[in-house]
Amino acid sequence: MSAIAQGAIQACPRCRSNTVAVRAVSPLAGVWTVYGCDTCFYTWRSTEPETNTDPDQYPAVFRLAAADLPKLQVAPAIPPLQAKKP
Amino acid sequence: MRAYQDFREFLSVLEQQKQLLRITDPVKLEPDMAAASAAATRLGNRSPALLFSNVAGYQNAQIVTNVHGSWANHALALGMDPETGIRDQFLEFVRRYRMFPGQLERVTSAPWQEVVIDKDINLFDIFPLFRWNHGDGGFFIDKPCVISRDPDDWTNDDVENVGVYRLQVKDRNHLGIQTVPQHDIAIQLAHAEARGEDLPIAIALGNEPVITLMGATPMLYTQLEYKMAAVMQGQPYRVVQNEKGLDIPYGSEAVLEGRILARKRQPEGPFGEFPGYYSGCHQYPVIEIDRVLHRKDPIYESVYVGRPWTELDYLQALTTSAPIFDQVNATFPEVQAVNALYTHGLVLIVSTKVRYGGFAKAVGLRVLSTPHGLGYAKVIIVVDEDVDPFDLNQVMWAISVRVNPAGDVLMLPNLAENLLDPACQPSGMVTKMIIDATMPVSPDIRGDYGEILETPVGTDVWLQKLEALTKELRK
Ligand SMILES: [Zn+2]
Repeated sequence: MSAIAQGAIQACPRCRSNTVAVRAVSPLAGVWTVYGCDTCFYTWRSTEPETNTDPDQYPAVFRLAAADLPKLQVAPAIPPLQAKKP
Repeated sequence: MRAYQDFREFLSVLEQQKQLLRITDPVKLEPDMAAASAAATRLGNRSPALLFSNVAGYQNAQIVTNVHGSWANHALALGMDPETGIRDQFLEFVRRYRMFPGQLERVTSAPWQEVVIDKDINLFDIFPLFRWNHGDGGFFIDKPCVISRDPDDWTNDDVENVGVYRLQVKDRNHLGIQTVPQHDIAIQLAHAEARGEDLPIAIALGNEPVITLMGATPMLYTQLEYKMAAVMQGQPYRVVQNEKGLDIPYGSEAVLEGRILARKRQPEGPFGEFPGYYSGCHQYPVIEIDRVLHRKDPIYESVYVGRPWTELDYLQALTTSAPIFDQVNATFPEVQAVNALYTHGLVLIVSTKVRYGGFAKAVGLRVLSTPHGLGYAKVIIVVDEDVDPFDLNQVMWAISVRVNPAGDVLMLPNLAENLLDPACQPSGMVTKMIIDATMPVSPDIRGDYGEILETPVGTDVWLQKLEALTKELRK
């Protein structure tokens, strides 16, 4: 099967969510497709190695669980809201 | 000294000087862009910029990397002879730095206004975005100039900010931005978020080479980068002010206008960073892009970040060294030069005259209290004025014979450090070290030095003569 087939929506290679969208296709038709994940924002191109595009081959060290995303360190911290001046 | 009107003028000068290589062979965005750019950094002092024009999937995309990626290109960016050595580039950079401030020149139009996109923006369609390192969380715009103002002091030009921050393209019109607390834009964002308001920004891509250097320079909050760029190029700096009041370089290829969304954070990263390691994933602020303007057929510029040395190390070499030198030299005029070339100044070498025993250690401590010292400088080596801090053979000699670790190494536990330094424990904290590699002088009577060897009379004259002769020999 062609790596650039667009029909089947795959899982995100990094967090395995099904929130995957096509971000772009190559201006010269049929060369590549760029996908993005709306959960962890991982982005990949169909022509990259399978260690970037296939959830089963994506390196364990870079994997993320969707449930853990809110626990990532927030930087910079969000300051308290100022009282509105009248 | 010379002012480049725009990015394209600088590229044509690089080409005239044989410092730009056109790559017309077909390339894939991954892995060729990273592989070729990493290879270019190994070509030494005359490493050229690379201009790719045959990119898989595109009719006519052009991508340029390694624009600042050698001492020759760095010298040309500053309008100097490409053969100029590091120490001489440092001294000239400092000389111009001390002429601050120069002037802004506001004009009403720029070439990047040729094409305007204000609906259905898709950044992936407009620019040939790609992944640099295998574990990067996505495609990053990593050589932008990000322009912002202070919401609490909106019309004050001196607190307008131009900074180089990494931007992760999240979807068609959203970016993630890394704002380290030590950075000026973090102050402005905090002011906007306390008000509950978005922070308007402009992002300039493909810039003439001086403003990129200035965006990478840790100047004071009240120093406007454009006014420093003006003294660096010897002419008022030309900008166009947009509707929000943000000043944008005239000479850019493309401009993205948008807002950092108030009080919003999203996963960002990882990204291969300047220490030569991936930075982790964090919840970082999010930018929404409202409008994109660009020249016809814009040339997309990016900087490869890998294990040092890479182009990034040139961007943060003298731009880091000069402000630290200026600040330390203001307190201690004995200080001769500062070399902060290594990994954004995590390791730093200072040369100084030594007035009395213990003086060099005080100079080292002063470095730690500069703005950059607070967040980066971790290992500080202080050498005498007879040692060129940019010549590591000389520095290693000084450490070899002028250091007795028993009395010359100070360890300072639990100081603040940039969270990108992987040695931090915990993140943001580190122990710092000062190595006093100066010769002990009274009343510090340690060691048994006797008389130092002198350089033979006439060596300098012979050096010039031999340089000319060897150049002739190689013709
Ligand atoms: Zn994901």
